[in-house]
Amino acid sequence: MPKHYRPPGKKKEGNAAKYVTRSQAVKYLQVSLSVFRKLCILKGVFPRDPKKKVKGSHHTYYHMKDILFLKHEPLLEKLREMRAYEKKVKKAQSKKNRDLAERLLSRKPSYTLDRLIGERYPKFIDALRDLDDCLSMVHLFAALPAIQRVERENIQVDRIHNCRRLSHEWQAYISRTHKLRKTFISVKGIYYQAEVEGQKVTWLTPHALQQVLPDDVDFKVMLTFLEFYETLLAFVNFKLYHSINVKYPPILDSRLEALAADLYALSRYFDANSKASKLDSEDIGLSGSQQVEEKHEETKLEESELRLAQLQHQLPSNEPGALMHLIGDAEGNEEEDTNTRECRSLFKNMKFFLSREVPRESLLFIIPAFGGLVSWEGEGAPFNESDQSITHQIVDRPTQKHTFLSRAYLQPQWVYDCVNARIVLPTDDYLVGRIPPPHLSPFVDNEAEGYVPEYAETIKRLQAAARKEVLPMPGVGTEDLADPQTLLVEGIIDRAEAIEAAEKKKKMSILQKQYHDELKLELQGTQYPSIVDTVKQNDAVEESLSNLLQITEDADNMSKVVMPRRKRKLYEAMQIGKQRKRAHVHLLKERKEKIDAAKKS
Amino acid sequence: MAESDSSEDEVAAHNTVGNVPFEWYKDEEHIGYDIAGKKIKKKVREDKLDSFLASADNSENWRKIYDEYNDEIVELTKEETRMIRRVLKGMAPHPEFDPYPTAVDWVTIDKAEHPFPDAPEPKRRFVPSKWESKMIVRLVRGIRKGLIKVDDKPKEENRVYLLWGDDRNLTERHHIPPPKPKLPGHEESYNPSLEYIPTAEEVKKYELMYEEDRPKFIPKRFTSMRSVPAYDKAVRESFDRCLDLYLCPRTQKKRINIDPESLKPKLPSRKDLKPYPTTCYLEYKGHKGPVVSISTDSTGQWIASGSNDGTVRVWEVESGRCFRVWELGEAVQHVAWNPSPELPVLAVSVGQDVFLLNTGLGNDEENRRVDDLLHVESHMAHNEPGASEAIISETIVKWSRDDNHGAIRLNHYKTVSSVEWHRKGDYFSTLMPYGESKAVLVHQLSKGLTQRIPFKLHGLPVSTAFHPTRSIFFISTKKNVRIYDLLKQRLIKKLETGVREVSSIAIHPGGDNVIVGSKDGKLCWFDMDLSSQPYRVLNCHPKDITRVAFHRSYPLFASSSDDCTAYVFHGMVYSDLNQNPLIVPLEILRGHASVNGRGVLDCKFHPRQPWLFTAGADSVIKLYCH
Repeated sequence: MPKHYRPPGKKKEGNAAKYVTRSQAVKYLQVSLSVFRKLCILKGVFPRDPKKKVKGSHHTYYHMKDILFLKHEPLLEKLREMRAYEKKVKKAQSKKNRDLAERLLSRKPSYTLDRLIGERYPKFIDALRDLDDCLSMVHLFAALPAIQRVERENIQVDRIHNCRRLSHEWQAYISRTHKLRKTFISVKGIYYQAEVEGQKVTWLTPHALQQVLPDDVDFKVMLTFLEFYETLLAFVNFKLYHSINVKYPPILDSRLEALAADLYALSRYFDANSKASKLDSEDIGLSGSQQVEEKHEETKLEESELRLAQLQHQLPSNEPGALMHLIGDAEGNEEEDTNTRECRSLFKNMKFFLSREVPRESLLFIIPAFGGLVSWEGEGAPFNESDQSITHQIVDRPTQKHTFLSRAYLQPQWVYDCVNARIVLPTDDYLVGRIPPPHLSPFVDNEAEGYVPEYAETIKRLQAAARKEVLPMPGVGTEDLADPQTLLVEGIIDRAEAIEAAEKKKKMSILQKQYHDELKLELQGTQYPSIVDTVKQNDAVEESLSNLLQITEDADNMSKVVMPRRKRKLYEAMQIGKQRKRAHVHLLKERKEKIDAAKKS
Repeated sequence: MAESDSSEDEVAAHNTVGNVPFEWYKDEEHIGYDIAGKKIKKKVREDKLDSFLASADNSENWRKIYDEYNDEIVELTKEETRMIRRVLKGMAPHPEFDPYPTAVDWVTIDKAEHPFPDAPEPKRRFVPSKWESKMIVRLVRGIRKGLIKVDDKPKEENRVYLLWGDDRNLTERHHIPPPKPKLPGHEESYNPSLEYIPTAEEVKKYELMYEEDRPKFIPKRFTSMRSVPAYDKAVRESFDRCLDLYLCPRTQKKRINIDPESLKPKLPSRKDLKPYPTTCYLEYKGHKGPVVSISTDSTGQWIASGSNDGTVRVWEVESGRCFRVWELGEAVQHVAWNPSPELPVLAVSVGQDVFLLNTGLGNDEENRRVDDLLHVESHMAHNEPGASEAIISETIVKWSRDDNHGAIRLNHYKTVSSVEWHRKGDYFSTLMPYGESKAVLVHQLSKGLTQRIPFKLHGLPVSTAFHPTRSIFFISTKKNVRIYDLLKQRLIKKLETGVREVSSIAIHPGGDNVIVGSKDGKLCWFDMDLSSQPYRVLNCHPKDITRVAFHRSYPLFASSSDDCTAYVFHGMVYSDLNQNPLIVPLEILRGHASVNGRGVLDCKFHPRQPWLFTAGADSVIKLYCH
């Protein structure tokens, strides 16, 4: 009897019953593959890895429960309905019944994803935990060109506008509540890390430049993801705005800000009207007023008037909320953790002015998040370049034509480095025309990595100085230089450490000895060339070093000898990773040495 | 000309009686009834004369015809006369009538598949629908009241609301959250530290690598932020992430997050296990070839060594002085000192011979006894060959006197690889690996007898040993160790080593534990009370183990290997049967140099002190002391 024989009447069980391949699942759900894909993306269903792959290892397997879960999804019905409706439209069109086709097209059925979001993220914290991809994607699409693309890619303009709006809303919230923690300018874009409700949310915004749209990317899949992410971010934004008592969605949007002068007039108008509403408008429009990136020349005046009317209508209703918000803000101060307080006051009493060529959107987001005042070159800016109270001007060009003596002209990296270090760094290295010091990632734990870049040390010392602590001088370790061999044998210190310590100790002892010898020679009054001596000593050092290496290796070997095989294999596997890390650190150190040597010579 | 029925066109046709005989109205005053039902009076008849005159006067009188039915005279028109004339001629009355028109197929001649429905049109086709009118009324009312909106596009309502307002208790399904994307390191910075940027050679090296090994991202440095270009793979990477999210099987993997050092077993500190040999104290130099075998005498004052250069030397342990040298001509295989202190006899296997050498190290009395013994031997061997069944004939082993060295020479028929003494010093065994059924022989020194081991050997024998206290004999083949009771002459136990090839065995002085060294560098410790499987396998040497040895009194054992090292272990055997032996590696002894791929060839413990002698292929013997 073959092994896979199942007696008739006996149900399938085990892996064969629990997992189905993708084609089986598609057949079971009676949908097309593209609909299945869409459902999987929206529902968050992913393939599984069964222990026993009944149909072969080249298939993708889904858990039967997941498939049933899809089967009972109302969205499936909705998608089928939409398909039928499309057929209706097509029929009308092909019968040249234009009226009917138009009427049908105007009331296409649509679906909403709010229930799915509630289902996938039962708690708000779950949504925040999963927000990284969402934010990165929305920010990426916000940076795509907002023009009607060719048919193939089919990225709608209003989706891009929606992405822009959502991303600005999110940034406005983060900036307003001072929740930004880390920033990093990488080659890929600018990374931000915020801490919202204890969750670290990291996202990447591409550099504000023309993005490359590759050919081999299936935009259909990406747009499905984007559909879900847009909805998710809208709900998250709603919840966040609700938590600080601001009405969502904010009325001021980027289109209004496009007409920068009008906006300025508007804000003055509101200023005259009521202080509270002005405050509120600033709160909400924070993002907006900072997004004056490109000018939409074609936007008409009527439109802006319309919006003005909308605003007038909207703001009075906001007023109590705004007041409450102010109160809440005052109350919240005590609750805030020290981190937020630190962030809030980093750029306090500083006034920034951004030149034309710096990444404005990013800096307009960061500087207010850390308590600074900011303006920019262009229409609608809160204050001018000639404002005497400006303390820092962010410039990214080799030379500056007209300079004010009262302010520092800095490169944008200074802001990012200050944010990461949480102190106001000295500005000397970042002045215009100089090559700035290396920009380090704030996401790396240097100690765990085993290699601390030079500038990280500098920053650490500056931080300590700011905290008025005294750090030990570099190079003078706190560890006592006891005999590394005994320490090693007792298992107190690591091998590498032991070797290093031994080296250090040997060198010191040699130096000492040399010194003594020289002293002696001097006392004797003879001029004896001590080269031979030192060479000998060096040999001795090397020998002892190799000896020590041998000892450490022996200790390692011997403990390995008595390990059971399984544990030994595990241990060896762990050593591989460690070894790789060590090799990487070694490579870095080697390069550093070479660079230093080149500098010296 | 318009064709028309003359009877119908004429208004004057009054009579409505129908087709009834005129006789019925012959006697009546009327000829019938008009359409209103009134009687139509008979007209007064003209007499024949009048009619004749009329016809004479009027040439057109012939046109007049009396219509009996309507009782009137009808005047024929020209057309009508012409028509009559045509009829009389047998032609069609109308001139336009075409008697032979071109045939038009108004109906198909073929039989229709479906019958033309001949059911009468139902009434409802002609009556306005009641329900439609009702529906229309309803719609009109709805539109008037504003309930129905005509051609109004659906409103865009705001779809965002407070989703997580209350803490709903949704049943959570099992969900594996996707792993977060990796955070960027220093090297991804637009302006990284210089050491993160690979040099030009390194970048070139990357190009030579396989594509999958090649680093995905090569750090680059830009001196200012404005010079950073758009990242060309931004969309691509985002797409890849999407694919990962919905196409990658997700499983929860348990990741062991422990310090690897914690995997190491907790062993007693080596300090507490002292004394054991740690450092090289003495070197015995003098051999010209690899020292193959060494042996210590029972007092611990002397050490004998045999080398490939054909010499056997005896050294004084504490001074390192070479006491005596025998030139045996051929490469020495094995030396073994007689364990009995009264008989300082050295057994040496050289090629096919085994020499029993008188070392002359004892006092005079002992020396004399040994001389006697060795002299008497020769006669005995000649006189009484083959006394009993088990005793081997002279063709296999020949006892003879070797006068050069003052020794007995046992000439075997195959190469002898090793010689082992019984603890009492009277018996010794020799091993000829290719001797087949006579591979292992036991000789008795006092009687000069030789006998065969009465057991079948399974495979090539590698090593033999006597039990330290009982009459038990160990023979190891390449795979197994067999243990025989010599008195009862039967197999007691078979130890399965599970190694590739056994190279040597050693018996614990207690007799219950055996260590086996193998050619794949493994050392197996057998506890014979436990099982036939090894209690512990120590994978200590990367190369062949050449020899394993137990110390006679200290809880020490050692292994020597071709990788030029010797391991010293602490091997404590407890008298309590419930407690397993404790094995702790103590020291790795180095110092020998590798010659022709061979390292340490032999190791022996000093009988009293915790010292270890090692013999190396570099023709040096070393003494390691504590």
